[in-house]
Amino acid sequence: MAFGKKKSGEAVDPLANTPLNNIMDEVVDLKEQPIPEGHHLLEVDDLHMFFHTKDGVVKAVNGVSYTLDRGETLGVVGESGSGKSVTAMTIMGLIDMPPGKIEGGDVLYRGRSLLQMSEREMQNVRGNDIAMIFQDPMTALNPVYRVGDQIGEPLRIHRGYSKKDAVDRAAELLSMVGIPNAEQRVREYPHEFSGGMRQRAMIAMALACDPDILIADEPTTALDVTIQAQIIELMQEMQKQNGNAIIMITHDLGVVADIADKIMVMYAGNPVEFGTADDIFYNPIHPYTWGLMRSIPEQVTDEKKPLTPIKGNPPSLVTLPKGCSFSPRCPYATDLCRNQVPLTYTLPDGHYSKCHYALDPDFIKGRAPENSRTYAGGNPRVVVDEPAGAPVAGMAKQAPGTVTAVDGALAQHDTKAASAEEGEE
Amino acid sequence: MPETSTVADAITYTPDTPLTAEEKAKLEPSQRGNDPLLHVEHLVKEFPVSSSIFRRNSKRAVHAVNDVSFDIYPEETFGLVGESGCGKSTTGRCLMRLINPTSGTVVFNGEDVSDMKGKELKNLRHDMQYVFQDPYASLNPRMTIGELISEPMYIHNEGGTPEQRIDTVRELLKVVGLNPEHINRYPHEFSGGQRQRIGIARAFALHPKLIICDEPVSALDVSIQAQVLNLLDELQQEFGTAYLFIAHDLSVVQHISDRVAVMYLGSICEMSDWRSLYAEPCHPYSQALLSAVPVADPDLQRSRERIILAGDPPSPIDPPSGCLFHTRCPIAQEICSQEKPELREIEPGHLCACHFAKPFPIEGSSIKL
Ligand SMILES: Nc1ncnc2c1ncn2[C@@H]1O[C@H](COP(=O)(O)OP(=O)(O)O)[C@@H](O)[C@H]1O
Ligand SMILES: Nc1ncnc2c1ncn2[C@@H]1O[C@H](COP(=O)(O)OP(=O)(O)O)[C@@H](O)[C@H]1O
Ligand code: SF4
Ligand code: SF4
Ligand SMILES: [Mg+2]
Ligand SMILES: [Mg+2]
Repeated sequence: MAFGKKKSGEAVDPLANTPLNNIMDEVVDLKEQPIPEGHHLLEVDDLHMFFHTKDGVVKAVNGVSYTLDRGETLGVVGESGSGKSVTAMTIMGLIDMPPGKIEGGDVLYRGRSLLQMSEREMQNVRGNDIAMIFQDPMTALNPVYRVGDQIGEPLRIHRGYSKKDAVDRAAELLSMVGIPNAEQRVREYPHEFSGGMRQRAMIAMALACDPDILIADEPTTALDVTIQAQIIELMQEMQKQNGNAIIMITHDLGVVADIADKIMVMYAGNPVEFGTADDIFYNPIHPYTWGLMRSIPEQVTDEKKPLTPIKGNPPSLVTLPKGCSFSPRCPYATDLCRNQVPLTYTLPDGHYSKCHYALDPDFIKGRAPENSRTYAGGNPRVVVDEPAGAPVAGMAKQAPGTVTAVDGALAQHDTKAASAEEGEE
Repeated sequence: MPETSTVADAITYTPDTPLTAEEKAKLEPSQRGNDPLLHVEHLVKEFPVSSSIFRRNSKRAVHAVNDVSFDIYPEETFGLVGESGCGKSTTGRCLMRLINPTSGTVVFNGEDVSDMKGKELKNLRHDMQYVFQDPYASLNPRMTIGELISEPMYIHNEGGTPEQRIDTVRELLKVVGLNPEHINRYPHEFSGGQRQRIGIARAFALHPKLIICDEPVSALDVSIQAQVLNLLDELQQEFGTAYLFIAHDLSVVQHISDRVAVMYLGSICEMSDWRSLYAEPCHPYSQALLSAVPVADPDLQRSRERIILAGDPPSPIDPPSGCLFHTRCPIAQEICSQEKPELREIEPGHLCACHFAKPFPIEGSSIKL
């Protein structure tokens, strides 16, 4: 672990070591603190945050756990309303409490609990240590201020830059993120920027203080694919230079395949599966992850494969189904699933899944979708010492329409469920 | 119309002996020897720029659709793909005369729609329906879904007695996967995907020959998107409806379309059957667009070479001279800013508007799927 020593002497940030930098001396610069032994840069541990509304309790963050180190990128995927943004905003201390309330768990940044910090401390963390960019840059950019003043603002707040120095630095940052004529552009207003340029300006603003962690909430969702490709490349380049960690929130499995080292799949406020990108794409063990993969059109040039959607709609976070929250839509749900909330089952390498059958290789084999590695020659789907690539039986793979397991397979599975109920835990 | 024969007739297939119905069904819809259902030729749509910052009698205009020609055959899905603002919706709206084209010809079902008025226009909108991206904005919130779906039958005085119409609505609700019991509910009581199903049920109420689907799944989550795409597929099989499927998502367009046209800045730059376009894009823009779509497969994504286009698309108010793409094209030559490349046939049924058209024109970067 590199302990995230900031390379501030480099051309990236020529002003970082000037005396101006010490104006904020009474506040500890957290990102300069070493990460305590046994800790990660960011540790989210069984975080629960519910909204208490007049319509009931919205269980928006319902047991989220992951760790993140410098230089790493975590992809957070899931359908809209699954709690991706609210999780990020809880970490950033941006949720109004009430109606929000932390119901359990913790968030440790360099070993220190963000949840215990005062609002004043959090203000210093935001922008300086952890920065966030949003889907719609217009919500974060103020239309009546010049772009340069806005990008320079975190430098004035966190680093004590003068107004002029901040604007000069803003121009450097803008040209760094690929905006031509940056010296003139800093004097323009947000509406004079195109969508892609606004997102670049947001990235420049987020990176102004060289944060440890960049949280990007659907930064490319509103952009066209050619502009999306530019922005993703920019984020990756900046990460290479600065060594920061990235949390990339998106609903697009293609984007996470492109950029993420680790992936968390969220469903109904809950991470249902977490693992490396390879785990999630080539060895997924949760039926919701399978459903997502079968729903996206594959790029092919031979035979088109029918899509297999997930039937039904996501549940309301106020009245979550009993048992596994995916059970009403899961083609493999059993009585066990409908009655008991599955535990988190973690494989030795940290890959985890919240499904009663996560550790049952027979369940997974034959139900998980094919992928380019299994096509290429059979790769065992789960840590089992069985011959790889055995043809799949039981379920009509790639069948059109909604997945419904063949009766026999379901029945067989039911008996297994019963034994699992006795045997497991 | 001699000068367009290349475009219009490129895909027409003329067998020596008449085909049996069975043989015909196996062919792509465009190759069955049927006349096109929709014939679009030199379609142009300009919106005058009325902003006060321009001189009042200036001739400036948004060149939203710039000389677009294509055909759609019965039972075919024709995909129109391109980035936002490239003129896809404007094209769709001109076809149905929701707006009037500046110039060009649109022939639907053998009839020129350009001068249609009153009753003829009403008939046109009987056989051609529009499904919008945002079902919420396009469905009147004060009407129940029963009223919404039966409205076209009332407008066109079809569907028999009110009771028979209600039966039809219930049937349609079942077909699109909604509960017929919910006939008296309002749009806000449904999720995004369900509202899109309502929009589709309404579009199918009169069994139209062509439905213009304008980004019908763009606002939906992937699992719901897959439900709606499958539904459109099933309905097409059942009713033989042709679709103009507009989208910015290349994978979705590939999945649903028989033929695809790629648009840039109001013009078609490449058009072919879905397979050739994705296997061998011949226009630099198509190639760049395909390479920019991230695929849900990290191995593939890592091994792919990517073309990152610089900058933003130019303004349609001042489109570039010569080839519209030359300001961003990685292989542009001098001729490109001077001479406009014609949309020409480079292989049977594969048309491309580039002076240097060939498979994977941007060297050193082939997108292998
Ligand atoms: N201030 C709030 N009060 C009550 N519920 C909220 C509030 N903000 C968000 N929610 C709910 O929390 C859930 C998760 O939302 P969000 O994190 O935005 O989802 P995602 O980003 O995955 O689309 C949603 O059901 C949303 O309606
Ligand atoms: N009513 C209108 N008045 C002026 N300009 C318009 C109008 N409708 C569309 N445009 C412009 O025409 C171009 C094409 O728009 P549109 O057809 O909606 O693109 P797409 O559907 O491909 O995103 C855009 O530049 C858009 O701003
Ligand atoms: S616990 Fe049961 S219902 Fe939930 S995902 Fe696993 S198999 Fe499906
Ligand atoms: S004509 Fe020239 S500028 Fe246009 S796409 Fe072809 S090579 Fe590029
Ligand atoms: Mg969100
Ligand atoms: Mg549009």
